[in-house]
Amino acid sequence: MEHGDVNVVYTVEHQLPLIMYIGQYFFFTGLSAGSFVISVIATLLGRKEFKPIGKITAILAPILLVVAPLNLIADLEQPLRFWHLMVYYNWTSPITYGSFLLTAYPIVGIIYAFMVYTDRQTPAKVLGILGIPLAISVHGYTGFILALAKARSLWNTAAMPTIFIISAMVSGIGLVVIIAAIRLKWFNKEASPETREQDKRLILQLAQFMAYTIMMDLFLIVSDVLVLLTAHSDALEAGMLILTGNFAPLFVGVEIILGAIIPMILVLGPTRKSLTAVVVASILVNIGVYAMRFVMVIGGQTIPLS
Amino acid sequence: MAEKRYGMVIDMRRCIACQACSVACKAEMRVPLEVFATWVKIVEKGKYPNAQRFALPRLCNNCGNPICTRNCPTKATYQREDGIVEIDQHRCIGCKYCIASCPYDVRYYNPLKNIVQKCYWCQHRVDAGLLPACVEGCPTRAMIFGDVDDPRSEVSRLLASNATQVLKKEMQTEPFVFYIGADETAMSNVEEEINYFTEPVYFPKVRL
Ligand code: SF4
Ligand code: SF4
Repeated sequence: MEHGDVNVVYTVEHQLPLIMYIGQYFFFTGLSAGSFVISVIATLLGRKEFKPIGKITAILAPILLVVAPLNLIADLEQPLRFWHLMVYYNWTSPITYGSFLLTAYPIVGIIYAFMVYTDRQTPAKVLGILGIPLAISVHGYTGFILALAKARSLWNTAAMPTIFIISAMVSGIGLVVIIAAIRLKWFNKEASPETREQDKRLILQLAQFMAYTIMMDLFLIVSDVLVLLTAHSDALEAGMLILTGNFAPLFVGVEIILGAIIPMILVLGPTRKSLTAVVVASILVNIGVYAMRFVMVIGGQTIPLS
Repeated sequence: MAEKRYGMVIDMRRCIACQACSVACKAEMRVPLEVFATWVKIVEKGKYPNAQRFALPRLCNNCGNPICTRNCPTKATYQREDGIVEIDQHRCIGCKYCIASCPYDVRYYNPLKNIVQKCYWCQHRVDAGLLPACVEGCPTRAMIFGDVDDPRSEVSRLLASNATQVLKKEMQTEPFVFYIGADETAMSNVEEEINYFTEPVYFPKVRL
């Protein structure tokens, strides 16, 4: 890159190994982990007005986590050999941690949802506390998948698992807000006005919480980009790729502006009491997180290694 | 049997960038269209009349500390005692994580077999006492293959008596393909960024 007149006369084109099945998988596990954490917080606080939220999210988490690995299996070139992951595991590979976490977490999640729905508080709380580390690692390990492929400079950062966990919280809360708003609007007509008012207040509170997670997410992204720009030459190239290169419209435009700054203004600004604004913010946030998965997975691989 | 560690020396003072190794590899390993296990990258430096071309044959380094074996979730990629990094084609599930992990981009997905493959230094030939196809095909004997642990082998003698380089030493992969007189620019990433917005990144066909 650094030399003046250099032309590549001949080299081969490389394949793109990880496509958006992987990005989608990251997106869905993120949603699942985010909603599980919200559900457990609601259960642990144990207040009556949190119950509906606790229930929606308890069922959402395992459903999303069934959808997520389907993407992974569809991505395999030999899908019928997926069981090799369990039988021939390799402990140094982050995918192996994943295959065991992806088995344990839905089991805990389903039993937890059962306890929540049958109103058994103590087992639900215990399972919830057990499940939170699982939910966090099921999403955190996906960050390690990228970070441990060390040759890709956009991926190879210790912040990657944390970035994934925080963005999972952002999108998970966003989804919960959307679903809770749908329930309030169309499925909970016969409830008393006080309950409806209470539900609305709860949704607004959740949105505030979402705004704080967006701030954390932005902080992590800024620190990641700053380090990329000042580290070695490959990292600089990765930083420029997402700031001014091919992926700038998606990264700066969709992920940062549309998916983080505008929702934050909608939720914290003068429109903070409006349900519509909060729902729009939640939708934008999910678009932004999806774009983030795209930029990370696809963008990380567009910098040639040969 | 004595301990062996295979290695390769590529002497760029002799290489004429004829691509004979690429062709030999394609034929020997039945590498499908559009993918390569070995190729010769060629870069051009400077402006006319002061321009010069530099080549760099590329293949799997059969690293001493490979990332691909560490990251393969099924141990389908494993390392033999003699250092050759192999892929068990009945075990590979085609997750392609190894392609993403390898710092040298030498692995490819084989669309005919639905698994991942790469250069194994022709272990079937080496086990039968022959040389890898690329080494055999090189008209200028720029590629030299042999046991680096045996002080009398030609690779060991070349390694002992020449300044050598390896690709991306900072990756701590301990490559076992050594270059003599390779050009710095040819060794670094000078390719254009690939614009994947024009490539299908969503949902190719599901294979069962
Ligand atoms: S060059 Fe790449 S594929 Fe070959 S052994 Fe090293 S890490 Fe593995
Ligand atoms: S594609 Fe095959 S060889 Fe590569 S990491 Fe996956 S299972 Fe291992």
